[in-house]
Amino acid sequence: MAIATQYYLLLSAAVFCIGVYGVLTRRNALLFLMSVELMLNAANVNLVAFSFHYGNLTGQVFSLFVMALAAAEVAIGIGIILVLYRNFEDVDVTKAATMRW
Amino acid sequence: MTSRPRLATDVNYVNGLAALALFAVMAYVFFTTELGQPAGFPDGSITASIGYAMFDMVDQAAIGAESFLVAFEIIDIVLVAALVGAVMLARREGDDSVVTAIADGGRQVYDEATGADDRADDPTTADGGDH
Repeated sequence: MAIATQYYLLLSAAVFCIGVYGVLTRRNALLFLMSVELMLNAANVNLVAFSFHYGNLTGQVFSLFVMALAAAEVAIGIGIILVLYRNFEDVDVTKAATMRW
Repeated sequence: MTSRPRLATDVNYVNGLAALALFAVMAYVFFTTELGQPAGFPDGSITASIGYAMFDMVDQAAIGAESFLVAFEIIDIVLVAALVGAVMLARREGDDSVVTAIADGGRQVYDEATGADDRADDPTTADGGDH
């Protein structure tokens, strides 16, 4: 007896909402990145769940590509945080309020 | 003195309520949708089928999927571009001195700590420690 697809979707929604809450409340840029990662992986849970639901592997393959994209995103994100720290001496996202100074 | 993590009480509860409302709406939508029973996968290696789908060999796969060879190649370019971009961002601006992987064995820190300045005229120790 397989688990109904709704419960996978519920798990995914919970993880996604935790990510949204993190993005809305956190001020540390690194925790921002972690929250975005949570949201991306919630989408991965959905892809794998529907892959099983329809008996087709497309979703699983696509979730691998989403993981690769997440890796690229984190690489750029860490670079941006490094520049942020260098320019503002802090990784607090609310302190970076100016683009040029 | 040790410290322990404490529960933050200065948070904005409106954000939490917004996230909870989003979760409630999504849960309502999921449980009012008729999805039916999952079909499941037929017999055969799932891992091998994923590999075949990635390299446009779906005719050999046990489980059906679309072919993803173009996406595979594009993700390769995206990853390389992201890594190059990260290195470009992390490089110090306006500092054209050559950065080598060979460390000075903490010599500069040692010199600063002991007050020894016998290598100050050496150009190889001029970089790496200034922030």
